Amino acid sequence: MFAYILRRLWQMVPTLFGVMLLLFVLFNWVGGDPSYILAGKSFSADTLANIRHQLGLDQSLPQQFLIFVRQVLTLDFGISWSTQQPVAEILASRIGPSLTLALPMLLVSLLLSVIIAAIVAYVRGSLTDRIVTLICTLAMSVSALVYIIAGQYWLAHKLGWFPILGWSDSLATNLWYYIPLPLLLGLVVSLAPDIRFYRSCFIEEMGHDYVRTARAKGLSERTIMLKHVMRNALIPVVTSLMMSLPYLFLGALLLERFFGIPGMGNEVLNAVDRSDFPVIKAITIYVALATMLFNLLADIVYKLIDPRVQLK
Amino acid sequence: MMKKRMLVAAITALFTMAAQAADMNKVLRVAFNVPETGFDPAKVSDTYSGAIIENVFDPLVSYDYLARPAKVIPNTTVALPAVSADGRVYTFKLKPGIYFAADPVFKGQKRELTAADYAYAIKRHLDPTINSPWSFLVDGRFVGADTLVKAAGKGALNYDSPVEGIKALDKYTLQLTLTEGNYNFLQILAMPAFGAVAREAIEAYASNTNAKPVGTGPYTLKEWKPGSKIVLEANPNFRKLVLNGQTLPKVGRVEVSIIEEEQPLWLAFINKQLDISGIPQAALQEALVIDPKNPLNVKLQPKYAKQGIQLERKKDLEVTYQFFNMQDPVVGGSAKEKIALRRAIAMAFPRSETIAAIRRGQAVPMNYVIPEGVAGHNPAFKGAVKYDPAAANALLDRFGYKVGANGLRTLPDGKPLSIEMATGTSGIEKQWNEYWQQAFDSLKIQLTFKYGKWNELNKANRQNKLQMWNLAWGADYPDGENFMQLLYSKNAGDANSASFRHAEYDRLFEASLKLQDGAERNRLYDAMNKIVVAQQPWIFGDTRIRSSLAHSYVKNFKLHPLLNTTWRYIDIQK
Repeated sequence: MFAYILRRLWQMVPTLFGVMLLLFVLFNWVGGDPSYILAGKSFSADTLANIRHQLGLDQSLPQQFLIFVRQVLTLDFGISWSTQQPVAEILASRIGPSLTLALPMLLVSLLLSVIIAAIVAYVRGSLTDRIVTLICTLAMSVSALVYIIAGQYWLAHKLGWFPILGWSDSLATNLWYYIPLPLLLGLVVSLAPDIRFYRSCFIEEMGHDYVRTARAKGLSERTIMLKHVMRNALIPVVTSLMMSLPYLFLGALLLERFFGIPGMGNEVLNAVDRSDFPVIKAITIYVALATMLFNLLADIVYKLIDPRVQLK
Repeated sequence: MMKKRMLVAAITALFTMAAQAADMNKVLRVAFNVPETGFDPAKVSDTYSGAIIENVFDPLVSYDYLARPAKVIPNTTVALPAVSADGRVYTFKLKPGIYFAADPVFKGQKRELTAADYAYAIKRHLDPTINSPWSFLVDGRFVGADTLVKAAGKGALNYDSPVEGIKALDKYTLQLTLTEGNYNFLQILAMPAFGAVAREAIEAYASNTNAKPVGTGPYTLKEWKPGSKIVLEANPNFRKLVLNGQTLPKVGRVEVSIIEEEQPLWLAFINKQLDISGIPQAALQEALVIDPKNPLNVKLQPKYAKQGIQLERKKDLEVTYQFFNMQDPVVGGSAKEKIALRRAIAMAFPRSETIAAIRRGQAVPMNYVIPEGVAGHNPAFKGAVKYDPAAANALLDRFGYKVGANGLRTLPDGKPLSIEMATGTSGIEKQWNEYWQQAFDSLKIQLTFKYGKWNELNKANRQNKLQMWNLAWGADYPDGENFMQLLYSKNAGDANSASFRHAEYDRLFEASLKLQDGAERNRLYDAMNKIVVAQQPWIFGDTRIRSSLAHSYVKNFKLHPLLNTTWRYIDIQK
């Protein structure tokens, strides 16, 4: 196991290098020149040259890439080209609000979708199953933006059950007052596809021979579902969960924008809009690292769930 | 000893109470729909950062809140400056006893505002290491400053080196000597970007001056979460400022939220999570009753009027225009057939339709390079061409732009004619593009779009790679010179985006610089506008009208044509 983890960690180096190279090429190709934003609406060639010099954009591309490599090795991405605030501070201030929304959303969504999926899979073909499947299909065909706009308008504005938007320095206030509506809408968006996906996982597992054998042995349906089916069906659940974990850091862009949550999603959008390469670099690298680490974690969890899984 | 301490404490408390007019329990909640970038007056130029800078820093002069048209008045000076007859030497006398907001950098001492602070603040705009986005307003303006800038090279300016044109004569006297006479220089100095900064604060926070604004204005920055929230609190050291018998500011705390989406912005206002707000484009019909016969005649919807919501409107001091690159071999140049091509495109564009459909009637057509409300504007001048696609086609026929076998026009020499228009990718830009496509289709001219972010298109234009692009210019100061310079050849490729070069226009512009606002200068401006109409480097667009709302409990709510915010004048009485 230890050797496997070490080998996987070592394999991350070329992957990360590939991400860096791709990001660097993309930014220099389509990212936009930030010096034209910083210079204002009227400026001289000297001013533009000075800005480019200060940002290091007058250096050769290989030199700029080497600086990027150094930044990744030290995890110090310097200051934002747009606001001149340290990138580390910007990300540190944004990650909390993003997680405050995304983490409960992920956990509640996971819990509800697994439970509902298990139930409807168990009563497969029944009226309940058909109704849930139909609702899920209908729910998935509506854009997330529609839920957000309609939810904010009706639940917050018309009915007054929630604040329109806002954020506080107090975690308790956020969880109690500002998070419930975006959380609810986030759940509405994510539940339907998750239920359908997990339902199919459960149904697939329930069709295996070992389930028939367990029934033949006289095990109760409850034991079969919880002890055997659930355990095996958790493998795709873990895969799906681990794949979504890195995106927690990116935040829920639309929910954050509509509900005034000062999270990472908004920061990403503003950074792209302003060609703020240090912020874009930092976020991309952190998300790439998180993706690789959670993939590794997923493999380890597979082994824990199912000892038959071999890590090679 | 105890008695002495109590006495000091009592005097301090009394002093604080006297100076602190603002009620710290009163909170004004407003929103920006675009994120700010920072609060160093010499480093940022966006409107939203400027709104905060305006409240934290004090320029030498400012605008009368109530006077219309906008009128420059003393701010931290005892009077307006003495100006030499040739408009070159400005001498300001500062009011004694104005103090910077308390800051650790002052080590517990009260720090008085001096003339040297203004000299330092102005010099910062010339510093090559700061790259001030406002440097275009001061470059080459002050006697002796160019030598200092040249000596600095790419390094920092030597602020201790004396400059003849920027001098603190004594603690309270500042003398600015310009290289050439300039009668609107006061308006430039009224901009928030030229507010006084304390050198020791700038040097102490050198690595992050955007986050540490220390000024003498009515508010101080209490909290900043970039792109999310800004909190200002009344500056206890703010000088006594009285308007109509009321000591200002009234409100102790201003909370600014950044809300970029239209729906939450609008709903937050009508649910009283915001006290003041603009009306998002999508909510115009919901908020206003717009007279279909005269869309400029608007009133609040009855349900909002009943709630006592207040409506304030102002015409922006701006022009919007579609420019042609005058150096481009297809659309540029002064040959008759080139002018005919530009004129025909202008004649085919349905401007009144775009005002009705895209602006929802909340704009007026532009007919003069200088917009209404800016010194030099001539309301009688009708510079825009009449919408007439048939006449536009006839004009193209006359100048040899024949329709080829493919149904599209060619150049007079028979080569294919295709024009590329630069544009962004937002929803509203797509709406504009539909109207442009319609105009070009009506002329049988092939149109393609070059999509890009603003900075990329700006770069391409400076490299002479664009043919047409739509831009807007908002007044930095309310003088015609700020607009007429947009077509001055020395600004070609910069503010003069069209790279328009016309010797007579230049001659008239240079002559106008020597004149104060008045009939003589206006005659020159008219002559320059006639050249613009004849040469057609621009297709005139429109000037937008903004509507803002405030709840009934917001008192003294009044928009100003030039001030970004009027927070210091506002009171909250719930």
